[in-house]
Amino acid sequence: MSSLGTKRLGKELAKVSKSLPPGITLVKADDLQEWLLDIQVLDQNPIYAGETYRLKFRFGKQYPIEPPEVVFTKQENRPIPMHPHIYSNGIICLDLLGSSGWSPVQNVESVCMSIQSMLTGNTKNHRPEGDADFVSTNKARPKDIEFYYHDNEV
Amino acid sequence: MARDTVKAGLLKADGNKRFQNGDFVGAESLYSKAIIADDTNPALYTNRAMARLKLSLWDSVIADCQSCLKLNDESMKAHYYLAQAYLELRAFDDAVTHASRAREICAHTNDKSLAQVTTLALRCKKDRWEDSEKRRKRAHKELEEDVLGMMRREKADSTDAVADEGDRRQVAEEWDAKMAQLARVFEAARTDEDKRREVPEWAVDDITFAFMVDPVITVSGQSYERASIMEHLRRQPTDPLTRDPLKPSDLRPNLALRKACEEFLDQNGWAVDW
Repeated sequence: MSSLGTKRLGKELAKVSKSLPPGITLVKADDLQEWLLDIQVLDQNPIYAGETYRLKFRFGKQYPIEPPEVVFTKQENRPIPMHPHIYSNGIICLDLLGSSGWSPVQNVESVCMSIQSMLTGNTKNHRPEGDADFVSTNKARPKDIEFYYHDNEV
Repeated sequence: MARDTVKAGLLKADGNKRFQNGDFVGAESLYSKAIIADDTNPALYTNRAMARLKLSLWDSVIADCQSCLKLNDESMKAHYYLAQAYLELRAFDDAVTHASRAREICAHTNDKSLAQVTTLALRCKKDRWEDSEKRRKRAHKELEEDVLGMMRREKADSTDAVADEGDRRQVAEEWDAKMAQLARVFEAARTDEDKRREVPEWAVDDITFAFMVDPVITVSGQSYERASIMEHLRRQPTDPLTRDPLKPSDLRPNLALRKACEEFLDQNGWAVDW
């Protein structure tokens, strides 16, 4: 990683280790390549009530000029949240995380908050169209996928 | 004046190959032969300076860079290598001057080394600050010891002047109390200095979270370090906050903020590593 990214992530780590917004907790950040965070939806949205979801951040050499790779990872007690923009393999279709929607003033905390609010506002209890197909055939890295934003009302 | 550009070019290419393979002695000698063939090409001097930097021949680096600057005083590399050599020689003012000059040339020519050169400019400032801090602290410590020494002598003189044993003990205790008080005053001054270590938000670049050296302002009114925003604009010509189109030519130096950052850094060199 460039010195630019190391310095910036070191400072982000210092900050998120001290405080994070409600519903977001740091699980693991042993190095400056991969971090795990848990998020919860705090209002009473029935789709997500009582659940905790795990996000995995991976930072490339060019972070924060390039976006981090952010996916949900599934494990015991940590399902993949149901959402028309979240595939069942954990890949999130969010313009902020794509190469063209990313901005270097975004950070780990702001990304978590965006994902949290994307869940909070959702009322549709289903996967994206073509989920099974996408999950079985996709080989690309999340940020290189050209998502077709077929459902902009979500 | 020698000017066999073809021969010099071949020698330089050979030198570059040696340099890339880590043979800095071989590279240095080939660059020297190239300079004998053509002593009018500024790039040959900076190439040799680069090899001599690797060989820790600081004085020779300086001589080469100066020869280069005589031929081309806008050579970014000459200023950049000069700054590194001066930094090694602990000539901090010269190091800061040349690193700043290299950085200005980079910013002006849209050179991709801008981030790297900015880092060196900050390092030079920090090392200069640390050096002056060290001297200041030493002077502070010396002053404390001098004053305490004077008080000890004074204590000895005044206790000697008192005949009565009880009075003498009382005079000695008064002096001890004064000296302890003075040591506390010096100590309090020291811890106070260490406490004042907070970087103001306005001095921090929102992209790298580093201290700003050359802040530039966008149309939306937000300032960024020039090197970071240029890096972003190379990838995507938009304002990071508003996502409106943004071109490098839309950026303006934020002179007042730059001055404020410079002044803060002069007093707080530690902020470089914050």
